Amino acid sequence: MPIVVTWLIHFVVAFASTVGFGVITNVPRRTLLPAGFTGALAWLVYVLVSSQTASPIAPNLLAAIVIGLLANLFAIVVRAPVNLLYIPCLVSLVPGALIYMSMKDFTLGRDNAAQQGLVKTLTIAIALAVGFVIAEAIFNPLRPTLTRWVRRHAKE
Amino acid sequence: MAKPTEREVIELCGAVGAILLINGAETARVESTAEYIGQAAGVTVSCHATMTAVFVSAAADPATHLVKVRTGDFNLQKVDDINTLSRRFVAGQIDFATLQAGVTRIQAKVIDFTWPQKLLGAGVVGVAPMLLFKATWGDLAWAFVVGIAGYVAAAWTGRHSTTPYIAPGGGGLIIGLLATALQLLGLATSADNIIISALMPLVPGIALTNSLREIIGKHTISGLVRAVDAVMVAGAIGGGVVIGSGLIRALGVL
Repeated sequence: MPIVVTWLIHFVVAFASTVGFGVITNVPRRTLLPAGFTGALAWLVYVLVSSQTASPIAPNLLAAIVIGLLANLFAIVVRAPVNLLYIPCLVSLVPGALIYMSMKDFTLGRDNAAQQGLVKTLTIAIALAVGFVIAEAIFNPLRPTLTRWVRRHAKE
Repeated sequence: MAKPTEREVIELCGAVGAILLINGAETARVESTAEYIGQAAGVTVSCHATMTAVFVSAAADPATHLVKVRTGDFNLQKVDDINTLSRRFVAGQIDFATLQAGVTRIQAKVIDFTWPQKLLGAGVVGVAPMLLFKATWGDLAWAFVVGIAGYVAAAWTGRHSTTPYIAPGGGGLIIGLLATALQLLGLATSADNIIISALMPLVPGIALTNSLREIIGKHTISGLVRAVDAVMVAGAIGGGVVIGSGLIRALGVL
């Protein structure tokens, strides 16, 4: 399969996942498209970076930084709390399947696998959270300028 | 316009905080929104929110208002509505009485996507990009269907039972049942892939990530409560799936 098609499929599925989760959590309709776009782009970053490294930290960290920057920008554009964009965008990255699998291992008495899974879950969640912190640290000094710029262009 | 009494302001801040918390806002936002509203209404209040309760207290007065909260399903639309309303109040565009009326209206209003929309949403979330080139396309198609079934099961169980954690357990049970049955019938290749994919709408990954964001933001108590809650939810789902697939396998043996 040509690489472009692979990427396109990734983009479309990640977009659908993000929008779908937005619908389940009842985000306002005006945030659906920006969230879908951000989530899909972050997923592409994740796929690209994880093909280069075996560690789960770098892909998740970078994807979270992408979400953090874009979501904050879109939050200004559509005037919504940034969390409304964060939540749907995270759905494909978040270690939900992993935490389920480790709890299942506990249920089945496979304690070693369960512990490994929980540590990995925590690692990914921390990587994502730190990614947001970094993104916000970058974004916050730019916020007033960007807000003014967006508002001026919105009026025209 | 009559100046609102301190009591009214505290009460309203408590109500606003509770709505935000129930519907999925992070604690930092709950606290800052309540404090902004208090300030704009002329009463300096401090607000402390954990996942289970909102405390609002006026700085000048020993009285504290405590609202107990039981967090439920996310409804981010309400968070947005409250946010818009409080922004307009802080900017002086609406007065206190309008804000009060607005908050009461949002509290009572049922804002929701329609059920068909939500089912479609749950279905596409069930097709996890994580598994795109690891699972077969047939399995992913099944995950779409099973994901909807699991979401419906969780919603139905949640509506008919108040036992905590039973809703995700019920969702897991149905997903485990269906996925294992599909594999035993030879319709699907890997039950595990279907289960993982179809569980996406239910698993507490977002809750866990938010809890770590809160811990990093020094909302330690709230973050820890959220993390423990996430582990409990995952445990309930895991238990449900194990019971579900166990049942089907037992049937298959007979």
